[in-house]
Amino acid sequence: MSPAAAKETARPAVPAPAAAPELGVLTRSVRELRALGDERHLSLSEAEWAAVQARFKTLKREPTLAEIETIAQTWSEHCKHKTFTSPIRLSEGRRTRTIKNLFQETIAAATAAAKKPWCLSVFEDNAGVVAFGRKWALAFKAETHNHPSALEPYGGAETGVGGVIRDVLGCGLGAKPVLNTDVFCFARPDYRGPLPEGALHPSRTMRGVVAGVRDYGNRMGIPTAGGGIWFDDDYRLNPLVFCGTVGLLPAKAVKKEVKPGDLIVVAGGRTGRDGLHGATFSSAVLGDDAPGSAVQIGHAIAEKRVLDALLRARDRSLYRSVTDCGAGGLSSAVGELGADCGARVRLEDVPLKAADLESWEIWLSESQERMVLAVPPKDLKALQAVFAAEGCETAAIGEFTRDGRLRVVHHDEGVVDLDMKFLHKGLPREVRRAEWTPPPPQKASGGAAKRLGEILREAIADANVCSREWVIRQYDHEVQAGTVIKPLQGVRHDGPGDACVIWPHAATGDLEDRAGFSVAHGLNPEYGRLDPYWMAMACVDEALRNLTCVGADPSRAALLDNFCWPSPDDPKQLGALVRAAEGCRDAAKGFRAPFISGKDSLYNESKDEKGRPLPIPGTLLISALAPVPDVRRAVTMDFKGPGNALYLLGRTNDELGGSLCHRLLGRTGGEVPKASPAVTLEGLRSLHAAITKSLVLSAHDLSEGGLAVAAAEMGFSGEFGAVIDLDEIPRDPRIYSNETLLFSESAGRILVEVAPENESAFLRHFGKGAKAAPVRRVGQTTANPILKIVGLDGSTVMEEPLRELKEAWQRTLPAMLA
Amino acid sequence: MKSPKILVLRAAGTNCELETANAFAAVGGKPELVHISEIKAGKKRLMDYGVLVIPGGFSYGDDVGAGRVLANQVRHTLTDLRQFVRLGRPVLGICNGFQVLVKAGILPHSNNFDQTASFTVNDSGRFEARWVHLRLNTQSSCLFFAGLPEMVELPVAHAEGKLVVKSPRHLEELKKNKSIALQYVTEDGKLMGYPHNPNGSIFNIAGLTNPEGNVLGLMPHPERFIEIHQHPNWTRQTYRKQAVGLEIFKNAVSHAR
Amino acid sequence: MSAVRVQPVSTHLIEIRLRPEFADAEGAEALARLRAEGLSALKDVRVSRLYEIKGAITATQVQQAARELLCDAVTQESRVVNPGTPPLNGMNFWRVEVWPKPTVADPPGETVRDAIAEMGLPRPDSVRCALVYRLLGRSSRAVIEKAVEKALANPLIHRFVVSEAHP
Repeated sequence: MSPAAAKETARPAVPAPAAAPELGVLTRSVRELRALGDERHLSLSEAEWAAVQARFKTLKREPTLAEIETIAQTWSEHCKHKTFTSPIRLSEGRRTRTIKNLFQETIAAATAAAKKPWCLSVFEDNAGVVAFGRKWALAFKAETHNHPSALEPYGGAETGVGGVIRDVLGCGLGAKPVLNTDVFCFARPDYRGPLPEGALHPSRTMRGVVAGVRDYGNRMGIPTAGGGIWFDDDYRLNPLVFCGTVGLLPAKAVKKEVKPGDLIVVAGGRTGRDGLHGATFSSAVLGDDAPGSAVQIGHAIAEKRVLDALLRARDRSLYRSVTDCGAGGLSSAVGELGADCGARVRLEDVPLKAADLESWEIWLSESQERMVLAVPPKDLKALQAVFAAEGCETAAIGEFTRDGRLRVVHHDEGVVDLDMKFLHKGLPREVRRAEWTPPPPQKASGGAAKRLGEILREAIADANVCSREWVIRQYDHEVQAGTVIKPLQGVRHDGPGDACVIWPHAATGDLEDRAGFSVAHGLNPEYGRLDPYWMAMACVDEALRNLTCVGADPSRAALLDNFCWPSPDDPKQLGALVRAAEGCRDAAKGFRAPFISGKDSLYNESKDEKGRPLPIPGTLLISALAPVPDVRRAVTMDFKGPGNALYLLGRTNDELGGSLCHRLLGRTGGEVPKASPAVTLEGLRSLHAAITKSLVLSAHDLSEGGLAVAAAEMGFSGEFGAVIDLDEIPRDPRIYSNETLLFSESAGRILVEVAPENESAFLRHFGKGAKAAPVRRVGQTTANPILKIVGLDGSTVMEEPLRELKEAWQRTLPAMLA
Repeated sequence: MKSPKILVLRAAGTNCELETANAFAAVGGKPELVHISEIKAGKKRLMDYGVLVIPGGFSYGDDVGAGRVLANQVRHTLTDLRQFVRLGRPVLGICNGFQVLVKAGILPHSNNFDQTASFTVNDSGRFEARWVHLRLNTQSSCLFFAGLPEMVELPVAHAEGKLVVKSPRHLEELKKNKSIALQYVTEDGKLMGYPHNPNGSIFNIAGLTNPEGNVLGLMPHPERFIEIHQHPNWTRQTYRKQAVGLEIFKNAVSHAR
Repeated sequence: MSAVRVQPVSTHLIEIRLRPEFADAEGAEALARLRAEGLSALKDVRVSRLYEIKGAITATQVQQAARELLCDAVTQESRVVNPGTPPLNGMNFWRVEVWPKPTVADPPGETVRDAIAEMGLPRPDSVRCALVYRLLGRSSRAVIEKAVEKALANPLIHRFVVSEAHP
């Protein structure tokens, strides 16, 4: 008999939890409970309090503090995504309809419809998992860490990165992180407007967040090779920090299970008062340090030790399941692992940073860098030896049972005794109200006309277009030696790549295997201001185009959704959220790209300096992952030589609504870009086929700033010029404006460079007919580094030296930070 | 031909060990990842290996100074390292490994473990990752550089890579002993400042070797260039150079054979 | 085992400075940030690390740790800091210590604690690590405190002390 089992039988029956009569859950009204709970930052609604009360009335006892905390945590928006899974009554003009479960009816429905056999695990585990060749799988997850980053940018970003890495480590039986990708939304760092007392200046937020992502990722030895930044001053009080990680694991390590009798082992950092939620009963007790305890500094090397030990233990099959210790600490991790069987925990066996922690503090602490494993008793000794060799602490703190209960004791005192079914299924669903008023068609108006060259100069230097080199250089984007396509591209290694390509040989140990993968993103809250549905469409469209441009296979793309929204208690905001989710559904169906995981962060609004609510613009980040069949066929975005043909894929429409051009000219209204997934997907597949045959020299997607910006970027990165004839552009025949053709942000478009000798072979890959994606030769590259545009009437309408454009493009970010 | 055993030394925070092992395996070495705790526990012995490599990373978070804690461990745990060096076996320190070798007093020479050089924070004040042009010292006896061209390219990625020496006398000694193995230069071979010299190192020093030439420490990462597709410009038709990183590992392995 | 003398628990403060002949890039960065927050009269900033070592460890042992572990033989120098009022100096020199609050993790402190034990010295009960900014330039405490809060420290996780100091 193992020592742990012996310990168990020697123990008396689990004592009943000590009640917390001061709560008075059995005696107070739900309204009183709600008020009491709100005061103590327990975000339980009245209906939820009623369910808790009913439960404990049948048990004929008062709940303990730890029990209430456990329930509040498990039922929180963060863990249960109540908004996405509750019924919604949506009023759209005069029509009203009910959505039973927004998540099931949009995101999950699209994935089910796609029926992709290469989706190995979706929405269940800590990350989504797709097949990568026959032997391997890729786990992908992105999360936000917005609120902590607003309070303490460096620590918030660090622990955000650390958290998503643990998601991937705790996915399946553990994946080795092979890529970090981080997307931020900030106010401009040179923001000069007012800020409320105590708010950090956007420039400090940005510096801190970048440094946090840098220091954690670099220390962990994970290349940070993807990401993006969006500047909009409405993020000044609520910056968004999206942290994403891709992990590689053996295909046979995707499935995990917990068996009754397995030991509960906590590994990694010690548990302390640090990371105790602001949302706890005794926050008053913590006094001065209360807010500090909710914000943490990461310890990357502690997590690196866990990573090194965990993967060694995984390869020796020393545990059966694993998950990370994130929000809710041990309560969530043990609750999740034991959801189908039951668990019993002894808090006195948890390694602590300070001896004086109270029971509920140990149980709920969110101390960083911890993982929880299910370990067969016979393997405990070997497992502990593996972790000890890496200087990493482990402790068996209990066992999984078959009684379907979650029981926690501390020195023979009962702390929690709840049944798993109530905990995980007992959450009452409340109907929420949503409203969506379709925007009336609006003609573009306002603003004064400008010279086309002048618009391009402003566009290229715009905060949302300009070079991100200041940020990217601080990340070790080549550790693991597999960043085959780098984030910065071109002759001088400084052009704006569409995506990176990773060849994960350090993780597979196989230099002969040339398969790689790519990750790209789509984000544009400006379109969402006009219509969140088309924003979602455009985000998926952009992410897939970025992937295809570097050589990834668009038919194998898997998606993540990350919604960051203001309060869904406002029916208008919830209506917009529904609209965005439906855009995700239709995009995923149209592009036949399944969602495999996702996350939402709601209530992103704060009071500004005058006490008025300042909500963020509803923001959706779509992240896409796809394999690159042979990394030696990958493509960069820089022009490769003079005299090559330039092809434009996709149709240009008069879609300047929400565009950079409109913002620069001070115009409002106009049509927001409307993606056509079916047509675009066909074009992307054709382009991919041409890329795999090495028929493409460079490719770059058209996004903010449209054709003009894309062509300029390709030119100055490759140090060659181009002549483009606007009359050759495949377009809506009603367009008569050079400006529209140059700066429209219509979706689905890519500019492609093809050597003259390959033109006919290239074209053979594209379909013909009305439903095929149009592709047409619009110009050619030149030796002279000048971007020359021939207008619809045949005259030269723009002639801009690329060197100057590049200087402007490079100046902006350092100047904003100075 | 026999494959020499390569000791790839690990510690908490080492993070370039897998790609370094892959590089050695690609040229016929037999790399083995060994945690310093295994050497301390007597489970592994340095003298059983033909080559020692200390890979890049952030050993112990570089918390007290880059490589400092691991350098202390190397002094106290790898007690036979000086003998290993004296026997002429190749020792390679990459990035953090270079910092460790310098702070453990193995470079620029390992006569008495005296530390005569060190590293400070990059002049830019930040971590920086970029590809650099380097000139190899063709007069040094560094065994790792056999057959390599004078001008090469490799990536650097570090925050504390600015090499400094105890006094001007020590720089003169480095020059005299031909210890300067490689320098940051412009594309046409000139010594210039930032960004060509990415960290502000004295005399643009990017790597040091011992007078005997069997110990090499360098800030750039040769294991990140063992394949043409790792170069930032491989997609450009004009790019047709060899992956110089691989040659460095090849030289170590053939010397150990 | 022969007689074991029980060493009383004491607290030691050790400051590690970059020698003046070496350029201080961290200091330059801090200078730029503080100037941006209005300390325009500031002429120079040097950054050093301050370790608070608590435990059953003697002053001699701490100095050994400083020499062999904390302090770089080429670039740095160490000194023992005595708590107490430093001599005033015409408001031209200032010292800012930024400490992590007790509830906040301190990874460098943990590293140092383990490394001291590994040297064969007594394992300290705790090691905390502060950043010290030594400022050169005329100013006042209130102005510096405000700038530090905006540029170098976050009161949510840090506690900082501004004092007039000798260079």
